[in-house]
Amino acid sequence: MKAGTHQEFEGLFSLYMAIGIGVAVLVFAAVGFALVHYRARGDRRPSRVSEMNRIEIGVATLILLIVAFLVTRTFTVEARVDSAPKEPTTIDVTAFQWGWRFVYPGQGVEVIGNSNDEPTFAVPGDEPVHFKLTSADVLHSFWIPGERFKRAAIPGRTNEFDLDFESEGTEDGLCTEFCGLRHSDMRFNVWVLSKASYRRWLAAHR
Amino acid sequence: MAGGAQIAAPAPPAPSAMGWLAATDHKRTAAKVAVAATFFFLLSGVLALVMRAELAQPGLQFVSDHTYDELFTMHGSGMIYLFLTPVALALGLYLVPLQVGAAQVAAPRLALFGFWIYLCGGLSMYSGFLTDNGAGSDTWGATLPLASSGNTPGVGMDLWVIGVGLAVLGSLLIAVTILLTIIRLRAPGMTMLRMPVFCWTMLATTFMVVASFPVMVVAMALLLAERHIGGIFDGATGSVAYQQLFWFFGHPVVYVMFFPFVGAVGEVVSTFSRKRFFGYRALVVSLLLFTALSMAVWGHHLFILGAVPNQYYSLTSQLLAVPAGIEYLDLIATMIGGAIVFRTPMLFAVGFILQFLIGGLTGIIVASPPLDYHVNGSYFIVAHFHYTLLAGSLFGLLAGFHYWFPKMTGAMLRERLGKLSFWVLVLGANLTFFPMFFLGFEGMPRRVADYAPRFGNLNLLSSIGAGFIALGILMVLANVFVSLRRREPAGDDPWGAQTLEWSTSSPPPHNNFGAALPAITSYAPLLDRREAEEPEREPRGAEASA
Repeated sequence: MKAGTHQEFEGLFSLYMAIGIGVAVLVFAAVGFALVHYRARGDRRPSRVSEMNRIEIGVATLILLIVAFLVTRTFTVEARVDSAPKEPTTIDVTAFQWGWRFVYPGQGVEVIGNSNDEPTFAVPGDEPVHFKLTSADVLHSFWIPGERFKRAAIPGRTNEFDLDFESEGTEDGLCTEFCGLRHSDMRFNVWVLSKASYRRWLAAHR
Repeated sequence: MAGGAQIAAPAPPAPSAMGWLAATDHKRTAAKVAVAATFFFLLSGVLALVMRAELAQPGLQFVSDHTYDELFTMHGSGMIYLFLTPVALALGLYLVPLQVGAAQVAAPRLALFGFWIYLCGGLSMYSGFLTDNGAGSDTWGATLPLASSGNTPGVGMDLWVIGVGLAVLGSLLIAVTILLTIIRLRAPGMTMLRMPVFCWTMLATTFMVVASFPVMVVAMALLLAERHIGGIFDGATGSVAYQQLFWFFGHPVVYVMFFPFVGAVGEVVSTFSRKRFFGYRALVVSLLLFTALSMAVWGHHLFILGAVPNQYYSLTSQLLAVPAGIEYLDLIATMIGGAIVFRTPMLFAVGFILQFLIGGLTGIIVASPPLDYHVNGSYFIVAHFHYTLLAGSLFGLLAGFHYWFPKMTGAMLRERLGKLSFWVLVLGANLTFFPMFFLGFEGMPRRVADYAPRFGNLNLLSSIGAGFIALGILMVLANVFVSLRRREPAGDDPWGAQTLEWSTSSPPPHNNFGAALPAITSYAPLLDRREAEEPEREPRGAEASA
């Protein structure tokens, strides 16, 4: 079974951060060294060396190798995150100004809410959930920060993706594509339940 | 030419206000652009301060949702279309003819026309505030269908569309004159590989402008037609197509607001390290590579759409680390082995190098789609691009401004006030924007007037930082005011600089160079002359440390 978007993100992000922090430390140290050691003093004469192409090529090659490594990891992770096979649980999400509609096809269940009344929809915590996302009017974006994932909601187009909610509880979600007046309040909640509770929730909402 | 009409040689400009406005001298046109850009910078900066006041605490205190939408739209649009882009080009318009030893810019009237078009665009954008529905309120790029007349009715939005189109067109015309100057008007002996570093960055900049700005002018014309006639950007395809057009311009413009300041910082670093720029040819190659890649990365703004080949744009975007790395290597290697003098321009240059790095490295993070899936549209992005544009480009601009101000005015800026303003701005920039990385990562979206209470403390910190930025900017303005009122004469070359503009008077005469040009022996002709005169001794100016 594939890992959730949250774990995929953490793995890749910590790799980028480690390299980023390493580079930052190196550059700050080099600049600091230059500023302290080569500051103008009584008898300091500036060097007249102004070209060392071996160093340029060396640094370019090193960065190229790092980029090749990072891009390879990115592609691997993205292939896993973007894969969206059909799952037993499918939810059709429609974003609109300014709210959300969640439909459970074949279940006769629908949750709808807007900026005055945030919707809360339930998902099973022990299996991946397949989402079909679209918009009824303008561009929106479906973000669940806890899952480290978002997708654009485009009118006239459906984006499909899988999310694997692991820990039971509530997560908040929101729109991150500016969509007009009530954009700030276009929120929703995800209720992650055990399989049994999820079935009861569905039954109660039919 | 029909009728054998002769074009009169440009007369020395009349001292009247009208004469100043109509003058085609590149230095005066550049000054006009810079003054207008500074005006729009202060306006757009005030909008940012109102936003930070609103965001200091959760809940709505000062402005309505709709006003807030106008604020962030006009702040972003103002800073990008009306300040950083034109001011970067103004720096080029002023300096490129001087640096390549030309008496004038090519097509000076076109440059002046560009200024007026740009100014009309800026006034059009801002005049939206006077209309019933207010100014543009659909973000700095607008999206469709949100920007349709049905979803965003009102003249203010039309004025925004027209204003952006005009401002971009004006910038395009100015950039063309700079490009032509580099191609056509270099002094005898000024080969391409003897052009100063700043000229190379301007060449790369104007390439990007010429390739991408026309697309934006057309996109704005189409958007206006879409609003009034319709049927252009229909359905999902139209919505995605508009974003493609916008970002085809929207990403290169980011480097248009960056390259000229890399060049300015390069000149400052070599002058104040008393050393010629290190790795000149490698820099030229890296700039050209960067320029080429910059035209192929725009799709990284569209990763979450699920409608573009993410892997391609991820690859091209991350490859930018290679030329960027070469630029960093060259800047640092220029300092190493030097005799570094810490004057205000050098402080701002070092600030640029270190702070831009944070923007650049987080840029590599957002170039990875699975990471972008989380941070896209969040405050993480706001932090990232303010580290590049404010903590980076604005610091680079101030490095160049403090460096060339004596050349442009003949007066020195106050050193102590300059250094103090630098430290206040460093404090302000980092206090404002560093907390935003955490805010975005933890789930705060962009473009909202209100947010969850748990984000309150970091937002307060950020708002306090914005106050320090405002204070720092006021100190820079005060410095300009004081230095022009009580002038300390600068002389031709107060810094012991290396390029041609420092061989003429400050400010330069109407046709730039009174006497014959110095021999153009390399990209640092004045340094060549000093080294030839004093082969074994300490170069002059190294003792001028403050």
